[in-house]
This record gives sequence, structure tokens and C-alpha cells, in this order.
Amino acid sequence: MNDKTISSSSSGGYGGVMQWLLNNKSLLFITLASLIVIPVMVDDDYIYHIFITICLFAGLSTAWNIVGGYAGQLSLGHAIYYGIGAYTGMLMLNAGISPWISMFIGAILAAGMAVAISYPCFKLQGPFYALASIAFLEVFHIISLNWVGLTGGANGVMVPLELGWSTMIFRERLPSLVIAFGLMSFTLVVAWAIRRSKLGFQLIATRERESAAKGAAIRTVHVRLYAAAISAGLTAMLGTFHGSYLTYIDPESAFNLTFSIQIVLFALVGGLGTVFGPLYGTILLVPITELARGWLGSSAIGLHGFVYGVVLILVVLFMPDGIMSVIQRYLPTTRRRRFNTNEDSPIDHVHLDDIKPPARPPIGELVLKVEHLDKHFGGLHVTNDVSFNLYKGEVLGIIGPNGAGKTTVFNMISGFLNADSGSVAVLGEYGHFSFPKTPGAFARNGVGRTFQIVQPFAAMTVEENIMVGAFYRFRSVEESRKVAREIAYELGLYRFLDEEAKNLPIGGLKRLEVARVMAMRPRILLLDEVMAGINPADLREAIELIKVIRNSGISIIAIEHVMQAVMELSDRVIVISSGEILAQGKPEEVVKNEAVIEAYLGKEVTDASTE
Amino acid sequence: MELTISLVVNGLMLGSLYAMVSVGLTLIFGITKVINFAHGEFMMVGMLLAYVITSYLGVHPYLTLIFIIPLLFVLGVLVQKFLIEPLKDSDEHIQIFATVGLSIAMINLVLMIAGSNNFNTPASGMRHTLSLGPATVLTGQVVIMMCSIFMVGGLHLFLSRSQTGRAIRATAQNRNAAQLMGVHVSRINMVTFGIGIACVGIAAVLLSPLYPVNAQTGQSFVLIAFVIVVMGGLGSITGAFIAALIIGLVDSFAGFYLGSSLKDVAVFGIFLSVLIFRPSGLFGNARKLAHVS
Repeated sequence: MNDKTISSSSSGGYGGVMQWLLNNKSLLFITLASLIVIPVMVDDDYIYHIFITICLFAGLSTAWNIVGGYAGQLSLGHAIYYGIGAYTGMLMLNAGISPWISMFIGAILAAGMAVAISYPCFKLQGPFYALASIAFLEVFHIISLNWVGLTGGANGVMVPLELGWSTMIFRERLPSLVIAFGLMSFTLVVAWAIRRSKLGFQLIATRERESAAKGAAIRTVHVRLYAAAISAGLTAMLGTFHGSYLTYIDPESAFNLTFSIQIVLFALVGGLGTVFGPLYGTILLVPITELARGWLGSSAIGLHGFVYGVVLILVVLFMPDGIMSVIQRYLPTTRRRRFNTNEDSPIDHVHLDDIKPPARPPIGELVLKVEHLDKHFGGLHVTNDVSFNLYKGEVLGIIGPNGAGKTTVFNMISGFLNADSGSVAVLGEYGHFSFPKTPGAFARNGVGRTFQIVQPFAAMTVEENIMVGAFYRFRSVEESRKVAREIAYELGLYRFLDEEAKNLPIGGLKRLEVARVMAMRPRILLLDEVMAGINPADLREAIELIKVIRNSGISIIAIEHVMQAVMELSDRVIVISSGEILAQGKPEEVVKNEAVIEAYLGKEVTDASTE
Repeated sequence: MELTISLVVNGLMLGSLYAMVSVGLTLIFGITKVINFAHGEFMMVGMLLAYVITSYLGVHPYLTLIFIIPLLFVLGVLVQKFLIEPLKDSDEHIQIFATVGLSIAMINLVLMIAGSNNFNTPASGMRHTLSLGPATVLTGQVVIMMCSIFMVGGLHLFLSRSQTGRAIRATAQNRNAAQLMGVHVSRINMVTFGIGIACVGIAAVLLSPLYPVNAQTGQSFVLIAFVIVVMGGLGSITGAFIAALIIGLVDSFAGFYLGSSLKDVAVFGIFLSVLIFRPSGLFGNARKLAHVS
């Protein structure tokens, strides 16, 4: 029993039971079991109905969470896919086809629609994506009202009451509950599988920090489209079931904005981005309101909506991470340790004395050729005819006053910015040069880069952060995890593997950036001011670290202000000032260059020194 | 030809109404960077209050402005202070949910209190018809049109000439710099939200003799308001005004040629096209932070 369990912090005697109860898996098992057991035992039609509704919404919320929580795309129009599924099921049932089959057809249609809608909308920022999704929903609503030939318009579609498993229409409620429970469980399994898979990591990385994800060669648009399609398909399947259950569907109930928002509400209350959060959110909210509606009858019109609205506001203000975050706070610590760096001793580094850098290989062939790069930002000439070469295994330092345009050059040699003219040639896998244009293309050609403002995936652990990079080279989660652990060890982050990235101090974050990029096994490493803000003791280590990287054959370009590092590490140095290259050459020569001194310290100093 | 003139006049009338509703929304977004999903509900509340006061006191609906403007201003201030301000450092989606939640709560609160009935404020002479050439308009519509011009003009003057207006524009352009200049940013946000909601309150009062109100009325206006705000470029008041007139014309023509149920498809079609192809709006700058003009 370690410090973080509930038994030591609160009521001692109940500790054991509470702990067992709140253990994630037990809670889940009990919850799922009760969804079947309780209605069967109570055996009341209305209770059955409530539990079927719970299963349905839990499934819908979980499906939504795949694209809303994991991928971070806040779709408020998910009812579109529900409606597609419901209408497909009903119309096909009227044509004699069982919902067991039409479920999949509806899913495919919905998935296709999701891709078509999402693709143009992904570049929209959060609120605009939400607005666009609402607009699409309204369009569907209007079309379904007006395309009377297909949908029956406002009259909706009914199905003949043929009972039986093949039509999913029953007199008793239990079979419907079984189907609802089955579909919900299927959705939960899919969501869980995605979360643990490579796709899950890529989605979360994309959600957290799209630019860094692109830098790790994640195809951010593709992964979100997969998520959107899967989410839509699952939603449609649940819609098909629900259509049969209700034996009636009309545009008002199928393409309903409030319905869409409810799904999202449950996921939010439970915890966006968690696997089981939506399930718990639904279980918490649906019974409250359904029961209230049952007791108060028609005089309660608006009551459940009002409760939802207020709950949403309260959750947003006081519990934005949802129930799951509250549950996890009381979990016995399994994977997620929470180091409170104010309480514990400051995170100290692992000394790298044991690691002896392997012998340094001689500097090899040309790996990067930058020619005549030029860039304007409006009237500002930020890069003026910059050309340089980089050879295998060498360290090239880029120095210059603030605002000289160093990071701009970096952006142009990693795909985050396109030059107005000039070229960037990268030596590829098989010996010829290519001219990549996008961050993904550069990453695939072996160019890895860190960012001046560190960009960790804050909600993921250190290990997961590094794995995101490793996924570039390795297919499976297990291999990536292994590589991530190795690199963490090499870089002195091993003890913090399970720590959430946002808890690391700045030095650790910088190492994490490097680790993530290293996991991609780049040929060229671009380091943007990794030494900034490090204290002198860490500085020594950081320099040794870069030597280790260099000696393994990786070529490094480093923007640096810390002169000690620049002088010690660089084989050659380039000085950039006002967008131009002022000087190139060995470090000792460059720092004595008059023009360079003038750029840093001003004309008076040079005049004074030559007097 | 006569038809066209009618449709154009009708469209401009509609557009000026939309303008009054949207101007507050774009102001709020331009300054506080919050998309107020509950904007339509404030309009609904304004119309309901106009109904209640007019019915029980027997006064002309426009007189309720005396009461409604300050009330809605205060409501806006409170929402900003207690709902938006605490969330200013949260993720974007959290802020979206906050106003969505507010919207749902308000709609359903009205449903609980008043049911789903329609309420019609007495016309009080605002439904007299006037002939403008071949077109027929209602006196209330003409009032709305004139007021919308005054509102946009007035806001423009306020923002460009007054000290508070300057402070508001400064906050929109660079929050941190404004703070360094001594601007009390959170107070400015509250004032701005208040002004935005007060504007929609004015629109509500002017509309109340012409149009019925129920719990869902806000929803039908808010989507169009968003379309206009995005088209005009978030934060640009003149942009919103022009976009509103355009949308009014589209609404009018599409309503005639496509029928009332399909005309929304045209409006949303335009919305989606703008979002996808030119998200900075027709008049906005390419910079994400549009300034208020």
C-alpha cells in the first residue's frame, strides 16, 4: 500500500472496501453487470425502457468520444449519423431487409458521409468546426423534411409490427435490452481498442499539438478521418437499432440538435478522451432526468433539458475533466503517479557519467543542401539568400542576434514554412536527394526537429510522448514502447516514464522534445535553443548528451545562444543577422570576425576595440 | 421587375433585423474571443420581457426599452463575470460547452415557466403597412431598418471616439498590451458583453410587435447570426452589417424561389462555403485576430 491510496487519506476502516470498489476494473464490471441485472430483477417496462435508453446513449456517447474526445473534433451534429442509421434501417425493413444487415449498410453510408463532411472542415478551429457541424445537421434536417419521396417527410417512417429477432421488434423489453447492451459493449470495445492502439496515440497527439504531431510524421488529417468514419459507423448502427425499437422515425427526432448535444454532454461529464467516461456520464445523468420526467409527468416539460443545461454549466466550471478525473484521483496508483513537484524534492537528473559516448566517426557525405533561400513576410525581408551545407555526423551551429531569422530558416528546412525562392535538398534513404515540402515529408526524409517553445503532448505521459515519435518507425505498440523506454534511459528520463508530461520542469521538457524526435531515428536533427534556461550543472550534461547523439552518426544543426555549448560542440558555425549569413566557418574564427561582433554588440564596441 | 423590387426591399428589411442581432455577437467575439451560443436566447428573453411588460402595463412595446436595455446589459455583464471569465484560460471546447449549456438551460427554463406557447406582443401600430413603390412594408420594419443603421453607426462612433471604446479596441487587438496600458481588461470584457447583449435586447424589443416568441425563437435566429458574423469577419461590425444585408437578400430571394422550408439550405450552403473556403470572412483579414471596426 503506497502513499497515494485513499485508505491513508480518509476513512481508515472503509478504506479496503472503497479501494476495491473504486478500482477501475471492478467498478466497470459492476456497472456493466448492473445494466442488465437491475432491469431484469425489477421487471418493469418503464425501468427496462430507462436502461435501454442508458445503453443507447452510452454507446452513442462513446462513439462520439472517438472523434470528439480522442481527436478533439467537437462535432455537435452527430445526430446526422444516428439519423442515417435510423432511416436506413427503417426504410430497408419496409423493403423486407433485416436490421442486422441494414445496420452495416447504414454504418458504411454514415462513415462515407462523415469523411465527406469532415475533410473540408478539419482545418476549422474548435468553435467553427462546431458551428459547421450544426449547419450540416440542419441541412440534413431540412432535406429529410423535404425529400418526401425517400423519407416520407414530416410524417416519418413506420415499420410493420413484425415481431422477432430478425426485425429487432419485440413485445417484451428484455430482448431489446440485450441488443442495446450488446451494441454498447461492442462500441466500448472498439473505443478501448483504439485508445490503446497506435491510432489512439496519433489521435491524441494530433489533438494536443498538431504541429508537433506533424513533425512526428503523423498524417493528422488521415487519422482524424479514420476516427470520424469509425465514430459515424458506430453511431449509425445504434441508430438502426433504435429505429426498430421505436418502430417510428421522423426528421424531427432523427436529426435533432438537442439530441446531438446530449450525447456530447454525457461524454463531457464523464470525461472527454477517456474510454469509459461517457459510460459513467450517461449512467449518472440519464436516470436522474428520466425518473424526474416520470414522476412529474407532462408538467415537467423542459425540466430535463434545464437540468442538462445547468449540469453542463456546473461541470464546465468545476469539473471540466469529467467524472473520470475524479475517480482516477482516488485510484490506487497503478500507471499514473502524480508527482507534485512542490512537495517532493525537485526532480533531479540522472547523471550521465556512466554513459561513455561511442567513438566519433569521421564526418561523411553531404546530407543537406540549402541553396539561396529567400523569404518575405509582407514588406519584411526575413531571409536573404541563405545557403549552407550539412555533412553527415557534423554539428553545425547557427548563432545570431534575436530576431535575426534563425527560427525562420529552421521552419523552412523542416517544412513548416515554404521559402519564396531557393531550395532545400535532403539526402534520402537510397542515396539521392529529394525536395520535401511539408513537415510530414521532411520527417519521412529523416529530418527531426524540436521547437523553440517546447511542445509536449501535455495530457500524455513521458513514455507516451516518446512513443508518438517511435510510431514513425515501428508498427506495434509494444515495439514502440520498448524503443521509448530505451531512449528515455539514454536521455535520463527513465524515472519519469509514467509522469504526465505537463508536470516536468523545463529541463525535462526539453529533453522530452529531443527524446521524441530521437525515437524517430532521424538522420538530421534540428535543435532549436535546447540549452536555453538550463542551469550550469545541467548544461554540462546536455552537452555530453548532444555528443552521444552526434557520435551515433546523426547530423545536427543547432540554433543556440549559449556560447559555451556552441564553441564546444560545433564543427562549423553560421552567423545569421537580419536574415543574411554574416559569416561561416570554424567557431574560433567566427567569433573573432568583426562583422559578427558588431552585429551582437554594436558599432561602438568594434570601433572601440580597434582603436 | 416589381417582384424583384419587392424581394429586394423585403431582403433589406430582413437584413437590418439580422444586423441588429448579429452586431452584438460579433462585438462579443471580437473582444472576448468567446462564441456566444446563447445569443439567441437573450433575444428570446428580451422579446418575452417586452411581451410581459407591454401586456401588463399596457404601454407601447418600444417603451420597454427603458427597462430592457439596462437589464440585458446587466445580464451580459453577469454572464461574462461568472461564466466566461472563470474559463478564460481553459480549452476552447470548454468555453463552447459553457455557452451551449447556458443556451439549453435558458430555453428549458422558459419551457418550464411558460410552456411551449407562442406569445404575441400587441402590434401597437407597428403593423401598419406602408407602400414603398411596389413593395409593401410594415412600419415596424422601417423602424428596425433605421435603428439598425443608428446602432451600427453609434457603435462605430463609440468605439472610435470614446475612451471606453478605445480601450475596447485595444483589448481586442492585444490583451496584454492593453493591460500594460492600464486597461482593466476583465472590466472591459464585462462591459463589452453587456453592450452586445443590450444590442440584441434592442433588436428583440423592436421585433416583438412583429413576430411571435416562444422558447425556441432564439434558435431560429442564432444560426443565421452566426452565418452573418462569420461572413462579415469575426469582430468586424461593419462587416457584420453588410453581411447581414446580403444574407437578408439571400433569405428573401431564396424564400421566394425555393420555398420557405428550403431557403435555409441556401443560407447554410453559403455559410459552409464561407467557412471552408474563406473562414476569415468576406471582409475579415487573414489574421485570426480580427480587429473591431
